[in-house]
Amino acid sequence: MEEDEFIGEKTFQRHCAEFIKHSQQIGDSWEWRPSKDCSDGYMCKIHFQIKNGSVMSHLGASTHGQTCLPMEEAFELPLDDCEVIETAAASEVIKYEYHVLYSCSYQVPVLYFRASFLDGRPLTLKDIWEGVHECYKTRLLQGPWDTITQQEHPILGQPFFVLHPCKTNEFMTPVLKNSQKINKNVNYITSWLSIVGPVVGLNLPLSYAKATSQDERNVD
Amino acid sequence: MHYPIGLLFDLLASSSALPWNITVHFKSFPEKDLLHCPSKDAIEAHFMSCMKEADALKHKSQVINEMQKKDHKQLWMGLQNDRFDQFWAINRKLMEYPAEENGFRYIPFRIYQTTTERPFIQKLFRPVAADGQLHTLGDLLKEVCPSAVDPEDGEKKNQVMIHGIEPMLETPLQWLSEHLSYPDNFLHISIIPQPTD
Repeated sequence: MEEDEFIGEKTFQRHCAEFIKHSQQIGDSWEWRPSKDCSDGYMCKIHFQIKNGSVMSHLGASTHGQTCLPMEEAFELPLDDCEVIETAAASEVIKYEYHVLYSCSYQVPVLYFRASFLDGRPLTLKDIWEGVHECYKTRLLQGPWDTITQQEHPILGQPFFVLHPCKTNEFMTPVLKNSQKINKNVNYITSWLSIVGPVVGLNLPLSYAKATSQDERNVD
Repeated sequence: MHYPIGLLFDLLASSSALPWNITVHFKSFPEKDLLHCPSKDAIEAHFMSCMKEADALKHKSQVINEMQKKDHKQLWMGLQNDRFDQFWAINRKLMEYPAEENGFRYIPFRIYQTTTERPFIQKLFRPVAADGQLHTLGDLLKEVCPSAVDPEDGEKKNQVMIHGIEPMLETPLQWLSEHLSYPDNFLHISIIPQPTD
């Protein structure tokens, strides 16, 4: 029964490869990054998000002092629309970087992430806790230190925020058991990421779920 | 970086005379390189998180999850207040294993080298081989860090250090895990170049 609950590292890598294949089809920019010694690696995605002034107001004058928005290739803004610039200047663009790694201790995937403003200033753990969606806030407040903490990235060695993996089996086991019952193929990464991602602002387009069942049909 | 101070010493300054002189900085915190330490709660959370991970490896988390919150608190308070007996009253349970087994499920260890980009090596490794033989420290290194193993007839290139000493490579890993782990229940192993004096 143990095999139902945990996934091995090879299975993890296989599901990541399938996940990335679909990501490439829909232009979702997930990619695989091997470690320097190539013995393992992780999935990585970067996206940009605007936080409105009210959420970040506790940061003070520096945010409102900005009159022009730093330009990043991936972020497009209609520059000739003055009204839009003025609104955006009072906001902040935040760069989120998400990494999916494999934990051999818990034998499950783990979500690492970091966030910074475009000038490189990182968000603090407090900023991250405050940014968690309302519907997950209660759970977070029950045990913030058990949920999202700052840790050393096991491959890069830099500080990242981590969503604790110790409860992963609790919610993944029913998903896996049910998929076996109805004889349906499930991509572990898709299911897992669709559950944990939204807690930290990462959402998956629905087409990922459909992609898995299509693969199944092709296999037949 | 939230590492035990003894590990930092072994890894970075083992040839220094004691007391170890360090420089404390109050400006220019290197955000990209170091974890913040906002409060005592953060340290407790990090310590307990390592404990839980170690037990996930040793006992599939069964022993630590069966404990009550007050037992977890006792581990932390025992460490914080340097109360050996208080700490070990609970920690001894994390060092037990079923009578029918010869050791833990997997050994919690991390191998550190300053020469690699990866901060540490951590992999699944069983203390007992299929034939019942106990794996040794040498077996572990050969399997997960072969570059650190000195050739048999060659010169000794590296020191394999735990708590400032070099255990014999023939030492059973299970024994090391029970007796030479750090309070977080991990074996933190440093591989450093052999000093050339």
